[in-house]
Amino acid sequence: MKELKEQLINRIKAHFPDITVENNFNYNRFDVSINKESIHSILFYLKDVMGFKHLSDTNCVDWLEEGEFEIVFIVWSPAEKIKIFVRTRIDRNNPVLETLDMIWPQLHTYEREFREMFGIQFTGLEAPDEFILEDWQGPPPYRRDFDTAAFAAETFFERPGREDAEDVREAITKLTGEEIPEFAKKYSR
Amino acid sequence: MESVLYNILGAVATFLLAFVVGMIYGGLNRKITARVQNRKGPPFYQNFIDAMKLASKRSAIHHGIMQHFGPAFIMVSSVMSLMVVPVLTHNQWFPNLNFHGDLIFLLYIMVFGPLGMALGAGQTGNPNSAIGVTRGLSLMTGFEIPWVMALVALMIQYHTTSIVDLMNVQIQSGTWLMFSSPFAFIAAVMAMLGMFRYSPFDIVGAPAELASGPISENGGKYLFVMMSAGSVFAFVKLTLYVDLFMGGADNLVILLVKTFVLYLIPVLYSLTTVRYRTEHAIRWFWGWPSFFGLLAILQAVFFK
Amino acid sequence: MINDKNSQKIVDIIQNWARQHSIWVLAYGTGCGAIELPPTMTSRYDAERLGVRGAATPRQADVLLITGYLTTKTLKRVIRVYEQMQDPKYVVGFGSCTINGGMYYDSYNTIKVLDKYLPVDVYINGCMPRPEAVLSGFAKLQERIAEGRAEGAKKYKENLEWYRANQKKIIPNWVMPDYNW
Repeated sequence: MKELKEQLINRIKAHFPDITVENNFNYNRFDVSINKESIHSILFYLKDVMGFKHLSDTNCVDWLEEGEFEIVFIVWSPAEKIKIFVRTRIDRNNPVLETLDMIWPQLHTYEREFREMFGIQFTGLEAPDEFILEDWQGPPPYRRDFDTAAFAAETFFERPGREDAEDVREAITKLTGEEIPEFAKKYSR
Repeated sequence: MESVLYNILGAVATFLLAFVVGMIYGGLNRKITARVQNRKGPPFYQNFIDAMKLASKRSAIHHGIMQHFGPAFIMVSSVMSLMVVPVLTHNQWFPNLNFHGDLIFLLYIMVFGPLGMALGAGQTGNPNSAIGVTRGLSLMTGFEIPWVMALVALMIQYHTTSIVDLMNVQIQSGTWLMFSSPFAFIAAVMAMLGMFRYSPFDIVGAPAELASGPISENGGKYLFVMMSAGSVFAFVKLTLYVDLFMGGADNLVILLVKTFVLYLIPVLYSLTTVRYRTEHAIRWFWGWPSFFGLLAILQAVFFK
Repeated sequence: MINDKNSQKIVDIIQNWARQHSIWVLAYGTGCGAIELPPTMTSRYDAERLGVRGAATPRQADVLLITGYLTTKTLKRVIRVYEQMQDPKYVVGFGSCTINGGMYYDSYNTIKVLDKYLPVDVYINGCMPRPEAVLSGFAKLQERIAEGRAEGAKKYKENLEWYRANQKKIIPNWVMPDYNW
């Protein structure tokens, strides 16, 4: 498998010399990072020429400290049984990317989700603004600087709990007379 | 004057009997279903509790005058057919308004209820109601064919269109019509499976699929009226079959036994099968049941 | 005579008895709790012997069983369904998520306290509540109905403005039909 992976990496490198490859996995996977201008051409190349026909998943990672979003495309080759993680980074303050749904039509749905959850704008994406969230008025909720707990505390009612946060299990066992088994004691606070 | 009063009282008594028996049969159906599925099941009087609860609902929304009439049409259809069908052979307590040609009248009036419900369901504006109505009318075109064929065979064979005359024929000859014209009986029983709309012909109600179909917008008192009308109509159908094919009944006990045995056919058949699609159901009725109906007519014409 | 208070009391008792033993449940499968209902209804636990039966539409239902977490998006639909149901109607909150948010306590689109938005008669706690718990919840509801204390619909109608204000707080774009349309 190692030779196969090297072979594939060399084939990609011949066409895209500016990629950085991470190949330290001992299973059928290697990672390719590329700048955002070449992402279309590398995906087209992988799909149409090298036989990576299947798009397994697409993810977005929020690198808050570095001020970047990383979009990861996981492509799979049914012939070679190899998966490649194709990564690209875009600016977090101006997250714009050309739409990719002409490569795999299912990317349309992923792009709508990224637009709603991360606020990434895809130029040329023809879809209604609203996807999953209805009447959403806050910032995109999957960004790491969005504090969900604070937002939930502010928006929704909260049921007041016990002030002392005491473990009531012992009190209950005293009332009902049942015993806490030995293995369960270490889980009680 | 006295006879009119007597008739009215008798009609009320007939209605009450039909209501009680129909509801108990419905409850027994649920009980039998539960026992077959290895459950305890609700008590046999569960349908009465349900009816009482539905009647005591405080609000019942309606979407217009036709929806208001829908349950009423079903009730009118049930009661009218109940009045025509003789309950017992030598009836003193249950007078009926039968006349020559009441079999043809019944054929029409039994369709009247579903049509009224179709009108009512149309006004609710619920898409499930509309689908349910189209399915119900399609199903009716299915089972009406063998049903009418069976009745026409009886009419040809005995030169009468009166239910009482047919009952008299059975009493005089001493054999039930289900033995002297078996093909008509088979066709009619197969049509009955569709009339009761139990599985596999529950394509009209279809709870998981259509949200109970035409009645999906009717709650509370509307549903109560529909439920009672359905129970009465079940009794009417069973009694009609007993009158036509099983020699009628001399007293209530025999009537209950005969109707219950007949009722077990759709109930038990429903437990063994799952729901057909609409076109399958119609094809089923236009297959063997219609073939037996045709045989019945041939028998009536050639072997009188 | 008819409107006499004592006779009204007798009628109430009879009606409550009927309501108690005939509970038609609209199982609104919002969350994971919907999976607990098939065992409750089928032969192992057989809820039908208590008169508990599934209803297909909100018009015919008595109990709205809210099974699990409610996102703001589903809350909108639940409110619509609840308002379509006919009086008297009851709400059963099912699972921890309806009580205090459960494991979704810090989610950005899941409500935490159901009874601020709809009048809840009985809560069944647990994550998930087993069918025994569901049955005991129904038994509790039956008790409340028999005592005439399950009057959530009346409460909702009387305090409709308060409930509406709470609902509109998290559903800003309020395009909903009137009550019981």
